[in-house]
Amino acid sequence: MPSGLPIESQGIIMNEVISAKNISKSYRDIKAVDNLSLSVEKGDFFGFLGPNGAGKTTTIRMLAGVLNPDKGTILINNHDVKDKQNVSKAIGVLSESRGFYDWMNGEEYLRFFAELYEIPNKERTISSLLDKVGLAERKHTAIGTYSRGMKQRLGLAKALINNPEILFLDEPTLGLDPQGQEDIQQFLKKLNKQGVTIFYSSHLLHEVSHLCSVIAVINEGKLVAKGTLEALQQQTGSKDLKNIFFALTNHK
Amino acid sequence: MTKFKYIWLKDLRAELYTWKSLAWLLVTSLIFSVTAYLLLTDRELSLLDHTEMLWLFGKIIIGSALLVVVIDAASLITSEFENETIEDLILTPLSVKDFVFGKLLAALTLWVLVYVVAVPYMVVTSSGTKLMGVFLGYTALLGTLAVLGFTMFIFAISFLYRSLKNTLTTSLTLLLALSIPALFSTTLKNNALARILGIINPLDNIFSSLDNVLVDYKVSITQNLTFIMPLVLFCIVMFVILIFSTKLFTRKGIIKG
Repeated sequence: MPSGLPIESQGIIMNEVISAKNISKSYRDIKAVDNLSLSVEKGDFFGFLGPNGAGKTTTIRMLAGVLNPDKGTILINNHDVKDKQNVSKAIGVLSESRGFYDWMNGEEYLRFFAELYEIPNKERTISSLLDKVGLAERKHTAIGTYSRGMKQRLGLAKALINNPEILFLDEPTLGLDPQGQEDIQQFLKKLNKQGVTIFYSSHLLHEVSHLCSVIAVINEGKLVAKGTLEALQQQTGSKDLKNIFFALTNHK
Repeated sequence: MTKFKYIWLKDLRAELYTWKSLAWLLVTSLIFSVTAYLLLTDRELSLLDHTEMLWLFGKIIIGSALLVVVIDAASLITSEFENETIEDLILTPLSVKDFVFGKLLAALTLWVLVYVVAVPYMVVTSSGTKLMGVFLGYTALLGTLAVLGFTMFIFAISFLYRSLKNTLTTSLTLLLALSIPALFSTTLKNNALARILGIINPLDNIFSSLDNVLVDYKVSITQNLTFIMPLVLFCIVMFVILIFSTKLFTRKGIIKG
């Protein structure tokens, strides 16, 4: 396929918005991701589970295009992940490494990214996002003074600044109090209903079982299962996601 | 390639918000004030020929500016890695070219500000001579080339090290290594090796060009090409190293391993 040419233009109609085929990534001698293939359909709320060090963050980074796989191919919205211009407009990412410019305030931070994405009506978009994540009252406060939960919400607003079709979230509710977790969950549900595909990595299994329509489990860099919660229940013979997770990751 | 301006403006704002560049400008203006005061009032220094005095002052301006810009530029790219903000930048449609160019403009802006601070001192010390224009012009030209070359080198190693400590140590070591032989007297530079090192050392060429212009009054560009060309070559070499470093970064991604 010529680089950058959408598959639809070749007459193939696909619903896959994320397609990874045989991707691998090693850090020196450690194989972080090993020949992993997965696909995510448009509109999915895709839960991505795995123990610590299983390769979840590396996979998300490769899917988002910030890390090159050693081998394999990745298509995002039918564009090669290396096609930065098209891919960066289609995705939003709340990554594991959440650095902020502490000297900026929340509004300035979102404006900076809105400028990089060349968002039209950026002031309206920023104001609406700050409202949605509950930071409107603190928009003029320096990020350095924000709590962890507030930074998390600002990170989410940043991930949504370009109105993405696909949202990658790596531990989005980490550090949030129960109310904050509930607010974010409701917000994400609403987004998903509006058609945003969500790729959701979390260690909070009750959250994943509550939110996700499809769940994939990765262990030692390999995809060990993928399906609806019911399909995983049938596959493992366990009822709740915790036992399913333990069964699939050989937890002793 | 238009998004560089957002990186440039962001870094300028960071310098102002954190008082970093203002502190540097204060330091340089103090250095210039003390130097100018000593040159004009100290009994030994005031015995210097006026042109020799300007030569010494020119060296101090470019030397101080280089020190300030090197320290500042070392943190421009590494801070994005150390504060983990680089990933969010890479995720945007911003190209690596825009990113580097914006950062380069931020470093050059600091040089321009240091130069602006130095202008009144240069005007005062060169008043009463015919050298004011060439003093201002050559300090601007030579300083810009030196700052450009050093900044590109610092950015290149910033992508490789991704750590402020290592980048700063390497940059200051290079600056020191190039400064010391440049300050040797001409009698110490008579053997072949010293002469070759003198030809390729950018600081040596800056100081020799200032000497040529201010002391020997050889003010045309053609009379200084032998000193300016090695500086241009230095910038070209550093540009190639920077390209190589950014390509390596693009290939490896945000994780070094």
